[in-house]
Amino acid sequence: MAALAMCAQAEHRLHALGVTTKGWVVGAPLLPGGVFIRQSSGQWVNAGYRHPLLTALAWFPDAPGTLYVAAGDGVIRIDAAGRWRVLTDETVTELQDISAGSGGVLAFGHTAGFRLSEDRGRTWREISGGLPRRYGKAIRIDRTNSRKIVVGTENGLYVSTDGGRSWRLAGAAGFQAMRIEQSPHDASFWLAATQKGGVFRSTDGGLTFEATPRDPAAGRNLYDIAFDPADARRIAVCGWGPGVLVSEDGGLTWNARNQGLPRPDVWSVAFDPDKPGRLYAGVHEEALYVSEDAGKTWRVEGLPGSIVLKMAFVPATGGAR
Amino acid sequence: MKRAVALALLAALMAPASSAQGYDQRRRQLIGKIARVPDEKMGYGHIAARLWLREGVPAAEKRLRELLEGDISGDMFWMFPMTAIAYLDRGQLSDSTRALMRKSWKRYYPFRGDTENHWLLYYTSLYLMAQMWPDLDGEGWFNGKSSKENMEEARRWIDSWVRLTTTKGQGEYDCTHYIGVYLLPLAYLAAWAEDPRLKKQAAMMIEWVTADFAAESLDGIYVGAHARTDDRQVVEKWAGVSSDFAWLLFGQGKETPPFGGYAPFYAMADGPEPPEILRRIATDRSRPYTHYEKKRTRNRWRFHDELHGPVYKTTYMTKDYAVSSDQGGVLQPVQQHSWDVTWRLEDPAGRHNTLFSLHPYSGMVELEAYFTFSPDFGTEAVWRSKTTYDSPDKLLGGSPYERIAQSEDAVIALYDIPAGTRFPHINGFFPKDLEEFEEDSSGWIFVRGGRTRIAWRPLAPYVWKPMAGGGRRLFSPHLKNGAVVQAASIDEFPTAESFRKAVRALKLEFSLEPRPRVVFRTLRGKLMEFTHGEAPRIDGKPLDYANWPAFGCPFLNARAGEPRLEMTHGGVRRVLDFRTLTVKEEKIAGPR
Repeated sequence: MAALAMCAQAEHRLHALGVTTKGWVVGAPLLPGGVFIRQSSGQWVNAGYRHPLLTALAWFPDAPGTLYVAAGDGVIRIDAAGRWRVLTDETVTELQDISAGSGGVLAFGHTAGFRLSEDRGRTWREISGGLPRRYGKAIRIDRTNSRKIVVGTENGLYVSTDGGRSWRLAGAAGFQAMRIEQSPHDASFWLAATQKGGVFRSTDGGLTFEATPRDPAAGRNLYDIAFDPADARRIAVCGWGPGVLVSEDGGLTWNARNQGLPRPDVWSVAFDPDKPGRLYAGVHEEALYVSEDAGKTWRVEGLPGSIVLKMAFVPATGGAR
Repeated sequence: MKRAVALALLAALMAPASSAQGYDQRRRQLIGKIARVPDEKMGYGHIAARLWLREGVPAAEKRLRELLEGDISGDMFWMFPMTAIAYLDRGQLSDSTRALMRKSWKRYYPFRGDTENHWLLYYTSLYLMAQMWPDLDGEGWFNGKSSKENMEEARRWIDSWVRLTTTKGQGEYDCTHYIGVYLLPLAYLAAWAEDPRLKKQAAMMIEWVTADFAAESLDGIYVGAHARTDDRQVVEKWAGVSSDFAWLLFGQGKETPPFGGYAPFYAMADGPEPPEILRRIATDRSRPYTHYEKKRTRNRWRFHDELHGPVYKTTYMTKDYAVSSDQGGVLQPVQQHSWDVTWRLEDPAGRHNTLFSLHPYSGMVELEAYFTFSPDFGTEAVWRSKTTYDSPDKLLGGSPYERIAQSEDAVIALYDIPAGTRFPHINGFFPKDLEEFEEDSSGWIFVRGGRTRIAWRPLAPYVWKPMAGGGRRLFSPHLKNGAVVQAASIDEFPTAESFRKAVRALKLEFSLEPRPRVVFRTLRGKLMEFTHGEAPRIDGKPLDYANWPAFGCPFLNARAGEPRLEMTHGGVRRVLDFRTLTVKEEKIAGPR
């Protein structure tokens, strides 16, 4: 019975993209880094190659066995057999984010803009035309409409409703957007975290974003957003200085949840879809931490000395090996 | 008798002082030095050297197997020695070792890096290894691409880099250290690429990069504003990779440690001896000249509308000293060096033979423009490897608040630093190896280094601070600030007093509010008018940045935007034309 319960819980596997940097200096052999996968035993495996710069990952719901990773040297496809294949060429570098939509639509942001593929990464087209500045920090394709894309640039949030052919400012003007997420509960509800501009909310499907009444980060930088799959009103954001902030009212108010964390400098957060209330936080060069009570208390989970830039729960039938 | 001596001198000047045999001798000397290490201490470079020499190969092969069976690291700095080993094998290694080498390109994932030199090393190595194993599919390579795909991608990037460099200049321009990691891959391509076009193009690029160095070589010391140098070489001008190449290519200076080990790889790849005209350009300092160059910034990802900004360089060369500058500003992150006076010494090893000022700027505006660092960790990420980056007493780096003007051997550096800026002061480097030093009641500081007299006029009050490596640091905690500097040869002013007298008599007017401004009549009679934030004026005319040449001096000429370099010396003209991929050398009339 216990075994069955464990199987029932193991519907997703936590993937963490990170690199061990504590104590590392330029020129020294690379410490563990790349894709870390938490095994059901609780152990972490550095799957595939060591890689120093992986920033985000995505997969298509109809094929979770294949991951698409935004990397320092391109989009890397990792198939179910664990084979790596770089899908991009010499014209893109230092990818910052990646997003998968329906119908094989995949898009990424990199140093010089945004690109989109309609054939699962085999071919790409530039979609940065019309954006005033192109540094492609954040991107999300609407999961209900692959022609709608929201991107985060150094000038704010821009939205396209025609597959990236035209853009208009959606909000956060003048702020570098660091992360954009769409609620898994309500497709019209989006959040964006920014550099020194706080959190911006959209309730019209990403067409317009407005600042939350009070900047929960008090002018500091926010790096990640996580919606709780078990609770539509619970959201976590994180950053340097504010640490982990949790909202229980859909992002209107936020409370710091740093009790037990060694420092309030957090790169990434993720809620466990198989365990309500379980929240992970990647604390700068300390470790990955886990909370069973949505951040009220914390304990060390693993990955000592790491910077974890992004976490994702991939369906257990898929993911990297 | 006089005529005979003159003829002998002329003959000596015209004769190739560094014969092909001399170059070959230096090559062998360098490679031999690398090869002679204990077996157990061999790294990839030592193994390559033994393969080149065809000596001690069994031990080298054993060590190679150990290395490849262990934990591989180094990214493109692993790729390039591995490529040399593969091409220097020439039947000396066993099939099983070759198989191990091939598998290592699947087992290990080298990262492409984020700078121009990383990419040239990466794509050159990838191209040549894919050329060696042309039929591998994606399963054979770390990145999942076939040999054909890897070769095509690498070729595209190399071609694009050549186009960019020959029309807009190098981004990592005139680097005292990184010159090695440009000459090295280019030598590989020239030697080992089977595609004749790529091979020819690489050989021409070697001349391009070497010419760039030759015009700014002061007896083997790479002078000039640099995109990147390092904490040691910025003060000990001899101590770096560029000196390895000056010795190897031009026979200048002396055999060095070698720094970085890049010159031996150039030698092992049969990197060519420069044509005679380049050796002459590197060594002929019989008369002073001003040399202009236009370069570009590194890729600017944020805060700028244009990916590359222009870099305008001026270098004044004499046989005794060089004065050089860029226009100021942050043109390259972290390791930029914007202006200095450098003087020649018979033996510069261990000597600090330069002087300059800077605003010790550090900040995320710079780092986020050029890197993808997060705003909270960028500065620390840099100073973990570049330890002085965020230090108030640093001597390396550009500043957005610095502006520089130069006319021949006079420089004006102005600073307008906003209140609240981290490190609100300027540093002036006065080295330990000055032979004379005097603070004059006129406000000028007079010094002598080697055969060079230098006058420095601070524009704001200052104090002296000691430095760990010797010498003294001019510390001036005033936000509106500057320095006027004039150099001259001891031949012109045999006594300190004659120099002081001449400089004191020069017209100098300056004000600091609302913006620093200087009017200065140089020793050469030029009137410099310079206000911070405005184009400098020389004899009433603003500097013509719009028509700044890619190269411009008596020896090198190239128009910005045109991939064509003309080299002229001693009645010979040599033209590199990248549009037609041709090299044409001819005799021309005229004294030079």
